[in-house]
Amino acid sequence: MGRPYAMLRAGFPYVKTVGMRRMTVNFPVDLAIGKEGVLHILCRNEEGAMVRRLTGEDEDLGSFGSLGVGDGQLRWPVSIIADREGNLFVSDEALHRISKFSPQGEFLGKWGSHGAGDGELNAPSGIAFDKDENIYVADALNHRIQLFTKDGGFLAKWGSHGAGDGQFNMPWGVAVDELGDVYVADWRNDRIQKFTGGGRFIFKFGRSGSGESEFHRPAGVTVDRDGDVYVADTGNNRVQLFNHEGRYVQKFLGDATLSKSARAYMLANPMFLRLRDMAVIDEQKLFRSPRSVRVDDQGFMYVPDYGSFRVQIYRKDVERLREDQIAAPLRSPSLLTA
Amino acid sequence: MKRKGKEPVLVVTQLSGGNDFMNTLVPYASGHYYDARPTVSIDAGEVLPINDALGFHPNAAPLKELYDLGKVAVVQGIGYPNSNRSHFRAMDIWHTCEPDKVGTEGWVARAVRELDPHGENVLACVSFGKGLPRAVAAPGVPVTSLGDLERYGVMTDVAEEERGEALDVFKRMYTPASTGPEPAMERLSQTGLDVLRGIDLLKTAPETYRSNVEYAANPIAKGLRDVARVHLADLGTRIFYTQHGGYDTHANELPTHQRLLGELSGAIMDFYQDLEEHGAGDNVAMLVFTEFGRRIRDNGSGTDHGSGGGAFIIGPGVKGGLYAEYPPLAPSRWLNGEDLRHSIDFRGVYSTMLEQWMGLDPVPIVGGAFEQIRPFS
Amino acid sequence: MASDNLALTAHLMRRAGFGSTRGELEAHAARGYADLVEDLVNPERFPEVEEDVLERYYGWLEGVQGQVWAAVWIYRMVNSQRPLEEKMALFWHHVFATGVSKSDHPPSSIQQIKTFRRVGLSSLREILLELSRDPAMVFWLDNNENRKGAPNENYGRELLELFSMGVGNYSETDVKMAARAFTGWTFAQPLGLYPYGFYPSRFVYREEDHDDGVKTFLGSEGNLNGHDVIDIIAGQPATARFIARHLYNFFVADEPQVPAWSVAPPRDPEAIDALVQAYFDSGGEMRSVMRVLFNSDFFKESRFKRIKSPAELVAGVMKLTGANRFPDTRALDYADATAAMGQQLLNPPTVEGWHTGMEWIDGGTLNERVNFAVGQAQDAASPGVKAIIDRLAREGAPLSPKEFLDRCLDLVGPLTVGEETRDALLRHASAGGDLDLNADAQREAGEGRVLRMLQLIVASREYQFA
Repeated sequence: MGRPYAMLRAGFPYVKTVGMRRMTVNFPVDLAIGKEGVLHILCRNEEGAMVRRLTGEDEDLGSFGSLGVGDGQLRWPVSIIADREGNLFVSDEALHRISKFSPQGEFLGKWGSHGAGDGELNAPSGIAFDKDENIYVADALNHRIQLFTKDGGFLAKWGSHGAGDGQFNMPWGVAVDELGDVYVADWRNDRIQKFTGGGRFIFKFGRSGSGESEFHRPAGVTVDRDGDVYVADTGNNRVQLFNHEGRYVQKFLGDATLSKSARAYMLANPMFLRLRDMAVIDEQKLFRSPRSVRVDDQGFMYVPDYGSFRVQIYRKDVERLREDQIAAPLRSPSLLTA
Repeated sequence: MKRKGKEPVLVVTQLSGGNDFMNTLVPYASGHYYDARPTVSIDAGEVLPINDALGFHPNAAPLKELYDLGKVAVVQGIGYPNSNRSHFRAMDIWHTCEPDKVGTEGWVARAVRELDPHGENVLACVSFGKGLPRAVAAPGVPVTSLGDLERYGVMTDVAEEERGEALDVFKRMYTPASTGPEPAMERLSQTGLDVLRGIDLLKTAPETYRSNVEYAANPIAKGLRDVARVHLADLGTRIFYTQHGGYDTHANELPTHQRLLGELSGAIMDFYQDLEEHGAGDNVAMLVFTEFGRRIRDNGSGTDHGSGGGAFIIGPGVKGGLYAEYPPLAPSRWLNGEDLRHSIDFRGVYSTMLEQWMGLDPVPIVGGAFEQIRPFS
Repeated sequence: MASDNLALTAHLMRRAGFGSTRGELEAHAARGYADLVEDLVNPERFPEVEEDVLERYYGWLEGVQGQVWAAVWIYRMVNSQRPLEEKMALFWHHVFATGVSKSDHPPSSIQQIKTFRRVGLSSLREILLELSRDPAMVFWLDNNENRKGAPNENYGRELLELFSMGVGNYSETDVKMAARAFTGWTFAQPLGLYPYGFYPSRFVYREEDHDDGVKTFLGSEGNLNGHDVIDIIAGQPATARFIARHLYNFFVADEPQVPAWSVAPPRDPEAIDALVQAYFDSGGEMRSVMRVLFNSDFFKESRFKRIKSPAELVAGVMKLTGANRFPDTRALDYADATAAMGQQLLNPPTVEGWHTGMEWIDGGTLNERVNFAVGQAQDAASPGVKAIIDRLAREGAPLSPKEFLDRCLDLVGPLTVGEETRDALLRHASAGGDLDLNADAQREAGEGRVLRMLQLIVASREYQFA
């Protein structure tokens, strides 16, 4: 299934919110969509770490992992991805390793060692599979991208510390599109860089700021099957959407409503109901410091809403166009639009 | 009441986070209970009944066993007016007996001051666990606080073969050649040497301890084992303080609470048997408390901060049974439409322990005269 | 002389900040004392701590638990290039002691410390105004319950008793009038912790709850509002004296605790007079008062006359060992360490604040202080310890036990120790003979000896003093 030639963007409506503080999700940093749409939500703070499993209907399927340094434990987990069998891989930037879990959460293995040599890691952050299920790792404090086999065999690396093309400053998120190109959230350079799978620089977009195409410490990046690029613009508390050429399309600020679990919780707490009734609720819908954004094949966008202990879900609504359905590209804008 | 020969000893066990009393001693015959707890309840068929209304959580079997032996007094519905739902603040209130203002002196420390007015025994009160609970803190009251009996003392991070020398240097550095004019220096000297004395005394405890009881590997079992070891070493400790954390069960309560109660009641049984085995239990009573109970209604996964918790008094000298009253469960009787009502003030229970067990005047310690129960007569 | 300059600079940095690494210390000493004071009282000359990096590793700083934020604060104490800014925030936290335990609402407490950081060196008037509008303080002292017709005096009383003038300088009527003036000073209800996490609170002035009747406060009559009361307070000699005493206790030398101030005279009345003078000369500008304080003889002569607060001890040890210079997973341990030593940041025990000086010391806390310092100093690979070893090795010739001890005391402080400590340490050093770090065969053993010497020094009584 290739990319459409172009799209009629009908909209990208908010669908719902799942999770809530403590009950289901604590400080969600990332999520992976597993078998049957189960959301594996990676949670991290200084007092706890785990993967919480929720259905899309906000049902709690339990959790696995705990704060610690032992096998199967998580200390500073950053990113979670699922392979085709539903196995889960989690990066840990404190333990400099990638851990592997079964779809049910049993610990299966780990790889990675601390250092700056080939195949060594210093604070691995974002991880992403290529089509052969090799793993790209944003090796943040080595300021580079490395490519490994699924079992941790070193394949390739590129990048160095700096702000030039192909250089990085503490890269965080990484994503691979269906053509095999690689996007990197170059966190401290406030930009996204795009490379071929082999690490050749293709283009970059974004600069520091809070306007369109501007970022304040973008942490997460993902690409959908149409080639659209989603960026979790963490410091600006928003997600920005770009097309495959890096042209800004729209932004999401958050539209949260009460999840199923949140509703049940509040209804069981008369005092909290009263206090909530005294408050203004505008702020509640907004994202707070989102560190990741994920999409699935059905066009759903999932934003782990880090500061608000929940996942906000949106759905892309587009008509995919063939070349014969849309006029040829124009060089200049036009006011003659009627 | 004084034991003959041995002076009474009190072991305080703090359950941190707010233990769910309704799911500890379950009102299994009450429809109101099951109505309010559609998710987070214990099936009537599973509880360990003590009468036709109440039963222990199935995982608290050791506690039930001690109850059947008549050694557990359950204080039902303990609390205080306008119960505070903040963990910190609620714990402070329990620690200082000051519900209306912020207090500075702990009730245990005040009791220690009465027991050892000249601060002669640095081990008069020993607290196990991280940090110093405010209950045992008061100016001028020496309290020995240790995370771990094996690793207690200064210079513990010095390699073992060097440690003797390090302690020797420490002692020399802290021993003043003469009494100087600097009170702060003197305070440091005095305190440093006290710490060394405590270390010397305490190190005998693990060395002399032998027991057939095997405690489980969890924090409360470890804590109570440390209590047993120090108690059996006969160092004159009158009050012990231990903690068991994790009771803040907002989410996924059933498995968590089950584990906690298993750990707690198993540890209590081990401790009880350990002291029995050594014939050293007759002068020991335990008080198990928590900073608040939990909300009557569950939240679909766990329960939230509430009021009207329960406490336990345990020991060979205890007259077991139910004390005070179980909070009424009919919704019309709920406090503020959501909480359990308490039927006895916690300061009355402290007073009970202080007066009837330790032989102290409770009024100045808890800040007033409160209704007591009679679990020792 | 040069080394005395170094010792004096180290003293300044312990008091105006949280100590310095040896490298920082030598750079500061080269700058010259008066210029260094100017740098300290003008923190905006230097860049802020890079919060983006802190957020990346420790989480969204507006939303973290209090203890995590306390850990981040300790990181700032160690790493800020604006040490006095951080120290003033801690100072005001001591004076305007607000505990998170009552509200369980960390964002308000966090906001309060950030406010202290922002305005800590401005005029007392501005500081008190910010304090009175601070939601954490409003809730801590019940001013949200202070309404026309039903005044709650808690804030009005503590403002006078503990935050500005001190007992004995105002009447009960003044307390009542101050309370009435602050009616209606409250905050907007924030959304609760559940279901989606804390939201910040904001100050709100509720006209309808404000008592706009005539009040007489400390001799001034009129329809006084809160800011009028603050204006009056800020102009009182008693206020200048009270704040001077707080500054003296925190920055210069241990005083008895606040409740004793109405009866016990200051340790150094002339110093207090000088600070009061500086207060009035500058219109209550803390920046000017601090400049006078640090440049005074009484300050320069006050070396090791204060027991370090737990925050100072923990941050100071890190300056020595070089730990905590980039976020790592031990941060929470550091915050827990100060708590175990009796100072849980963001959570002072009462509105009176922490009792300082020798009240920091009891069996439990001394044990914690010693073990923390000794434990931190046990790693030969930590940058600070390694630098000391390298420096000793660079001396070339083997060091006699006395030289070995003197160099170590110098590199840890410079630290001055008493006779007992010196004898004990020298005896220990002598048992190992000369120290030769350059003889390969002895290098490892020699490193071990340095390490142990550092551990013993930081375990001493003298190391407990700032």
